[in-house]
Amino acid sequence: MYVQVLLRVSVVVACMLVVATAVIVGRHRLRTTVGDLVPRLRAVAPVVVVLASALLFNGVARQTVPDLSWILDWNFTWVIYDFEGGFIVWLQSFEHPVFTAYFSFIYIYGYVFMLIFPVIAYLALSDTRPARELFAAYTLNYVLGLFIYVIVIAYGPRNVMPEVIEPLLYDTYPRYQHLTRQVNRNTNVFPSLHTSLAVTVSLLAYRTRAIYPRWNSLAGFLGLSVAISTMYLGIHWAIDVVAGALLAWIAVWLSARLVGRFSLADAVRRYRTRSSETDAGRPPVDTAGDTTGEEAADRLE
Amino acid sequence: MPLPASDTDARISRRAVLAGFATGGLVTTSGCVRRARSIVGRDDPDPLSLTITTVPDDVDRHAVVIADTLKDNLEAVGIDVSIDYRAVEEFYREVLINHGFDLFVGRLPDLSDPDDLYEALHSRFVDESGYQNPYGYANLAVDDLLERQRRTDGEERRAAVADLLEAVVVDQPFVPLAVPVEHRLVRTDRIDGWNGRDLTTRRGFLDLEPADGVDDLRAVVTDPRVTENFNPLSAAYRNQGLYVDLVYDSLALVDGDELRPWLAEGWAWSDDQDGTDADSLEEPTTGRTVTVTLRPDLTFHDGEPLTAADVAFTYRLVADTTLGAGSVRSPASRYRGRVSVIDALEVHDERTLTITTSAGREATARAFTVPILPAHVWEERTGTAQLTGVSVAQGTTEAVVTDNVPPVGSGPFRFVDVSERQSLSLERFDDHFSLRVDDLPAPTVETFSTHVEPRSPAAIEAVEGDSADVTIHPLESYTIDDVTETTDVELHTQPSRVRYLIGFNARRAPFANPNARRTVARLLDKSHLVDSVFGGHAEAVATPLTGEWVPDDLAFDGEDPAVPFFGTEGDLDAEAARDAFERAGYRYDPSGSLLVRR
Repeated sequence: MYVQVLLRVSVVVACMLVVATAVIVGRHRLRTTVGDLVPRLRAVAPVVVVLASALLFNGVARQTVPDLSWILDWNFTWVIYDFEGGFIVWLQSFEHPVFTAYFSFIYIYGYVFMLIFPVIAYLALSDTRPARELFAAYTLNYVLGLFIYVIVIAYGPRNVMPEVIEPLLYDTYPRYQHLTRQVNRNTNVFPSLHTSLAVTVSLLAYRTRAIYPRWNSLAGFLGLSVAISTMYLGIHWAIDVVAGALLAWIAVWLSARLVGRFSLADAVRRYRTRSSETDAGRPPVDTAGDTTGEEAADRLE
Repeated sequence: MPLPASDTDARISRRAVLAGFATGGLVTTSGCVRRARSIVGRDDPDPLSLTITTVPDDVDRHAVVIADTLKDNLEAVGIDVSIDYRAVEEFYREVLINHGFDLFVGRLPDLSDPDDLYEALHSRFVDESGYQNPYGYANLAVDDLLERQRRTDGEERRAAVADLLEAVVVDQPFVPLAVPVEHRLVRTDRIDGWNGRDLTTRRGFLDLEPADGVDDLRAVVTDPRVTENFNPLSAAYRNQGLYVDLVYDSLALVDGDELRPWLAEGWAWSDDQDGTDADSLEEPTTGRTVTVTLRPDLTFHDGEPLTAADVAFTYRLVADTTLGAGSVRSPASRYRGRVSVIDALEVHDERTLTITTSAGREATARAFTVPILPAHVWEERTGTAQLTGVSVAQGTTEAVVTDNVPPVGSGPFRFVDVSERQSLSLERFDDHFSLRVDDLPAPTVETFSTHVEPRSPAAIEAVEGDSADVTIHPLESYTIDDVTETTDVELHTQPSRVRYLIGFNARRAPFANPNARRTVARLLDKSHLVDSVFGGHAEAVATPLTGEWVPDDLAFDGEDPAVPFFGTEGDLDAEAARDAFERAGYRYDPSGSLLVRR
């Protein structure tokens, strides 16, 4: 069942990616990318390794997080419910099959598309800094998010107000719970990682609006849709979404400051120059990924 | 909530008096000091604030909605309420092990035999952890009646149980709400013979009829706990213990209302006239012994023989998981009630042992349903569990905290593999005695695989989509009406041993007071809940026991005979309920909050 759902999501998202790449990235950029791909990949490789280790760690830690959280036993469900329970009820009063279909689509397919497309779009740029910032921001989202998940126990609206909140997604499409269950446990709703990752992409899209104006508009719209979908579907509280947006902002802010600060390529170059003191020639390593932070920021904004 | 006026006054006067002492000017005579002592020495009752402990919707929608209704009605009578939603194992840990609750809403398995009430309510268990008396309830008259139903058999026991229920209903140590009707979905094209079976016990999965060429049973569960922990003694991780029942054997097999010899070839009561007949029950009931004879050549799944010593070991371990070596006794958190009928044990040889008991036959025989654990595996688990850097509660033995994976039992199915929160696979134990002894129900399928689905709708999809043959856990009632039965997919229905209830913690005010418990009990309209929460797939009850045990005047007939609802059709008459609290001696402050001294 899980494999079936996964396959279905992959196919749909792949179609979306093909269309979006054609419209947004364009043939010209793709053509130059093909020839230039290897050095670009080499430039982003270090931060990809960091992200991959964060995800792997996340995968392992996810099994232990609930037990750790229950040892701390900081259960905020009631505090949140008591504080803002009415908002989600109000939001769901607009329930309509069209909205339900749209937001369910956004929650699963739109979200996955949103996370993958910028990888393609940014790798299609000769400047690898946006791509590196993207991976760094993803990593920060997962690491900071996991940390908060350990500390805070909170169940979402659908888990405490079943008679008011229609658990729209899982009752209409029970198979999706296979997918989300792999990613999230039901005690981990604060903050909304769906929101934080989507908003991260929106914020980065805003920074690259000069290059990809269409993506900026689309990402803004999708980011907002994802945020609303989590609440409309009864999965997250408004507070989770606000916290998610805040987490996104912090992740983007930090990644802009961290990326380029620790350059593996620089280290390699220094090592090589030192080992061949007499050789005054130019550094042997490709410099595609080594523009300084200031330069990149100038070019982007 | 604003502070009540009286409380504020008390604080001001206390502060003023202290200030007086500090300046040393005002207090000059001893009379004045005495007056000051009288003023500062009085504590006011506070506005009552309660926490309802329950589980989230993913675990049990019924409990969530009942808790919410109870919250609304408690608030209507001036009580401040919050709800503590806990993961299922954390819920049972908090309620059964740590007793850290004011009141809880949830389901407890196995409250269907009168002797289950002995475990649940006898005051001898107030200080133990587990299914034994989590309520902290103590009533000497009820203790007497619990002893009497345990001592007696037949008609005499029936009368004792009727008296017991009358007493329990007056006192409401917990409020029995409803007995659900259990619905499961089964596929009949691959495996047949589900009809009329109890799918909560081992017996339900023996003698099934697989079609030609079918040798695997595919089950789906919606509660992942069985993939996380396989400890038969764990209160937090066990539900009704079906998987324990499949992997472990007991002396007797529960087959409908009957107990059939299983690991035991038979048992003989010392007071039998002819020494063999286990069915005549009208006999004197004190100081009897029963001699149990095991079948020959029994083995555990690891090849070690199962002997009378393992049986005796299991009973001793349940009574004290330190086996007498600990500084305090540490009973197991399950099966404690059943094993407490045993006064003494004597092992004669590999196949026979004698149990001395002061209980009747009916209560004593329930000890025969306890899963028999291998001594060679569990005797190493009697020490205190160790966790570096953390002080462990006294009596926390390895036996009660181990996840027991892989489990070594002797049951009809053997553990093969588990993947946490994903799947569990069992295979038939080909050396099982039921496969070589005639006339015993036996395992028919070669493998028994189980996978976890998040909730009932997904479990229904799995059966309808032919990736599962049976849903092990009952379907949530809101999904039942949407199920379409076909020639291959059928709904299986059976009565439940599970009880939905509100449990009170009598260790905490105001629930030491039966009047407070009775008044809270009257805040819920049970027959309305059965319709609105269970969609009619349950039966409202006034007593935890049902059927033949219930005396006529305690039958639930549209209304609770003992604690009728304040109001009609689910609408609470808050005035009537507030009056009841006042009649019980409680007071309200001017803002309408119920005051309770805690």
